Amino acid sequence: METDGALIEQSVRGRADAFVEVVRRHEVAVHGFLARRAGQQAADDLLGEVWVRAFAARGGYDPGYAGARPWLYGIARNVLRAYWRSRPDPSTAAEEAVDPWDDVVDRLDSAAQARELTSALRALPAPERDVLLLVAWEQLSPAEVAAVLGVPQGTVRSRLHRARAALRPVLASSREN
Amino acid sequence: MTENIAEPDDMGPLRALGQAEPPGPGVLEAAREALWSAVAGEMLSADPDGGTGRARPARTDELPDDVQRRRADPGR
Repeated sequence: METDGALIEQSVRGRADAFVEVVRRHEVAVHGFLARRAGQQAADDLLGEVWVRAFAARGGYDPGYAGARPWLYGIARNVLRAYWRSRPDPSTAAEEAVDPWDDVVDRLDSAAQARELTSALRALPAPERDVLLLVAWEQLSPAEVAAVLGVPQGTVRSRLHRARAALRPVLASSREN
Repeated sequence: MTENIAEPDDMGPLRALGQAEPPGPGVLEAAREALWSAVAGEMLSADPDGGTGRARPARTDELPDDVQRRRADPGR
């Protein structure tokens, strides 16, 4: 089976339709990425935008990366940020406005244990929460998270370390209950 | 030492928070339709030079007929 990188390269060299095969491989995962952060309806609406943006940006893809999923998550993340910025919200001028964690919390389980965990997540700085959720929800490696966020792997590891340390008491009590 | 990034015991409750419903029927197809429009647009507008992206040098013998006529007989 050809790698995502090989298919993207083909799509750049004139076989544009090869890109559709890449999309088929990752569409459920990317939809889940969007749905976990913006809800099912927004994910349905935004998925096509992710593909169009990815297709337009494919010339910049390094075919040395065999798997395109982290790259696609990075594009989905930008689409989400644009979506959040476009919503009528008086605080949109602030960078925090593109991280509407309250919206995410509203959709999560309201059980007491989940409330405790979501409160702990809410208290994390957004960059640390981003890393933690890419590992926990999307099951990415630090190298893949680094590719999504465009930061060095060392930064990913230190953010993850801090996030896990902050959440450890809550996660430990979840295990005990 | 290899860091254990995603200890299952540690991340289990967190993973449970991230459960998402699978996309409904037709959602993936609709999103692919948007992509196909972009793909078709690019394929239709592809250069006749095979996508090399090289611009063809201008050739004076391809000037419109009326321009060529005027150049050949400027007094007309």
